[in-house]
Amino acid sequence: MPTSLIPTPRDCLEIAPQLILATWGLIALILDIGPLRSATSDKRRGTLGLFCLAGCGIALATMLWRLLNPSGERDPFIFGGTIASDALTFSFDLLIILLMALVVGLSTAWNFTERWGEYFALLLWAGVGMMFLIAADELLTLFLSLETMTICLYLITGFETSRRRSVEGAMKYFVYGSVSSALFLFGLSLIYGLTGSTRLVEVHKVLEGDAVQGLSHNLAGGVAVLLLLVGFGFKVAAVPFHQWAPDAYEGAPAPVTAWVATGSKIASFVALMKVFLFALESWGSGESSPLGPGWLGLLAVISALTMTFGNFAALAQKNFKRMLAYSSISHAGYMLIGVIAVSASTKLESAGAVLFYLIIYGFTTVGTFAVAAWLARDFNSDMIDDLDGLGYRSPILAVCMVLLMLSLIGVPPTAGFFGKLYMFMEALNVDRTGPASITLVGLVALGLFNSVVSAFYYVRVLKAMFLRTGRGTIKPASRAIAVPVVIGTFVVIFFGFYPNTLLESMNVSAVEMLTSSTSGMIQENTHMNPLSQMKYKSGAEVLDEYKKTLAADKERLKSTELTEKARKELEEDIKRLEGIVARGVVATPGGGGSGSPPASAAAAPGQGMGIALPSTYPGMSQTKSATKGAGGAAKGAGGRRGASGKAGRAPKAAPAAKSAPRPGDSTPKTSPPK
Amino acid sequence: MHTVELPVSGSDIPLAWFLFFAAASFSIGLFGVLVRRNAIAVLMSIEIMLNAANINLIAFWRYVAPPPGEGINNGVMLALFVITIAAAEVAVGIALVLLAYRRWKAADVDRYDTLAG
Repeated sequence: MPTSLIPTPRDCLEIAPQLILATWGLIALILDIGPLRSATSDKRRGTLGLFCLAGCGIALATMLWRLLNPSGERDPFIFGGTIASDALTFSFDLLIILLMALVVGLSTAWNFTERWGEYFALLLWAGVGMMFLIAADELLTLFLSLETMTICLYLITGFETSRRRSVEGAMKYFVYGSVSSALFLFGLSLIYGLTGSTRLVEVHKVLEGDAVQGLSHNLAGGVAVLLLLVGFGFKVAAVPFHQWAPDAYEGAPAPVTAWVATGSKIASFVALMKVFLFALESWGSGESSPLGPGWLGLLAVISALTMTFGNFAALAQKNFKRMLAYSSISHAGYMLIGVIAVSASTKLESAGAVLFYLIIYGFTTVGTFAVAAWLARDFNSDMIDDLDGLGYRSPILAVCMVLLMLSLIGVPPTAGFFGKLYMFMEALNVDRTGPASITLVGLVALGLFNSVVSAFYYVRVLKAMFLRTGRGTIKPASRAIAVPVVIGTFVVIFFGFYPNTLLESMNVSAVEMLTSSTSGMIQENTHMNPLSQMKYKSGAEVLDEYKKTLAADKERLKSTELTEKARKELEEDIKRLEGIVARGVVATPGGGGSGSPPASAAAAPGQGMGIALPSTYPGMSQTKSATKGAGGAAKGAGGRRGASGKAGRAPKAAPAAKSAPRPGDSTPKTSPPK
Repeated sequence: MHTVELPVSGSDIPLAWFLFFAAASFSIGLFGVLVRRNAIAVLMSIEIMLNAANINLIAFWRYVAPPPGEGINNGVMLALFVITIAAAEVAVGIALVLLAYRRWKAADVDRYDTLAG
């Protein structure tokens, strides 16, 4: 809330990795113009590369330190609620830092530029932008971090000064990117005007309260959604906003391409899901049909176009990087199916499947672009034909490459297969009788068809590597190139055999994204991994705990040995708790939203829900299916983002909280809404 | 927290006028981006679009009451940040245009066409 906007030391501790990396970039810049001024390009590349790797290492270490020493109860909303710090940001910060380390390492493979200080600084700062983009809980923060990320990326795209196409790629990336930013901003300004707020949670609340769901007769809302969709569409390279992608991917030096294709896309996807699936959730579809006025139908069309166009355009490519660019476009299409499934089913598992896919996609893509960097280093070109005979000259890496390609196609033992499987299964599991199901079944069928089409161009790479003999000029890969390929392969194989751990932790992360309320979450054992320790409680349980805390507080107030200050605090606490309890009990059913239930709500409670909810809980609106209801209920019971401010602390004060049973862990107990 | 009275009296210019103006200048900017081929003109058009959004933000800040518990200066803060971002974007844009100009001896975005397919 506005009064708490002044950052506390704890806030800064929560964003320590970002601060470290930002400072590290600055130091790299100073090192480059200071001590390393007269050094050769090779020396500066090596030194600064190692220096930045050390920065990534330290950032990772701070995250691990936080993982091992959780400071008791963690407040998921920092900097006055503009930035989140929860399981979602934790796991994706980890992902971004790991990918950054791989990209920094890959950059040291060869001399594609002279300006190493600026290059590494911009690389790190782009990463900082990505991490803030994932964490952003407010539209201004979101826009700022989006721009931090892309402005840095525009510049490093043009860093291969010896080649014309690098500048051209940067120029195209810049023009398309900044136009899309302007469109995004205009859409954002309309959202601000319509809701009076830029906080995602407030936007969500205001829109939820509207009588009409969907976008019929809402011109301003429709324009806003369209503009935001265009803005995000550009960033994730979805057709028809993809034109910049092949040119920028081909023109940029391979490490930069890897960074644009993974980090930028992953961060934008998470932000897209946060904005559309949470804040603008009520505008998803009309009440009559899932493709009625709303962004869901729009997204379905974009998804279908994206995967089909991406795959068919990739078939015609001769340039390896350009082919990968189109393949990355088509993967955005697959992921959009997942997003639509989340919106139609509101299940955590659906969102978890998309996040799982994003992670696997990230590592696979870095691996393949490392091979592109290898070609660029030795041939100064990156045609598919340059791969000829690679399988005989460097068998191990070629086999790794085979596995990466199989994962991109989605062939069984690899993680890419499981990513697609989970995502498509979740899409098919959406309420079989509902109208959204037809659309999703169609999209999944199209996705499967496209996977088959994609096999053709991925297999061309394999054919070049194993069935042809090439010019024998490619030199053995250096460590900088081999490491991303091997790590990508390892991830693909490891999570191919053990997808469950990652999938479960992604489901936990998805809670944050879909409900954006973590008030029901309690860390039980502070000495263990917080990611695996997060438990979810039903709204009624939380409410019960508040009541218990309230009673305990009142007892304590009666005792005399309290200091003046403690007494005051206690009184405030009681007042707040009373407010929460009163609101939880007095609120009228359906107070959260009104109108008839949308088509998809009818069957939703029957599906496997991560969160159990009593149907009588008043905070749960009848129009919302259970997962959303859980968010709403938890908020009613004093969610951190609700008006009640710091109410989330109450469960800690209640000793009873630790021993309370948690039905939320296991089976769904939701009874259908009346 | 003190409350601020948001004047929405009849003597003011109606909100819709600002929105029409913003929408019009946004469209002009978009038109410019799509039609003009000179890279500098494209940059200027992008600026117009960003400023149109700024007008929207300021107008909404002046006329729309924020929901309870929300900061009162969100729109202005947003506009301030957007101005900063716009400056950064133009700086980067000019740098890239200069770089491209050195290579092609032209600031015409249609000429940069070595990459295609």
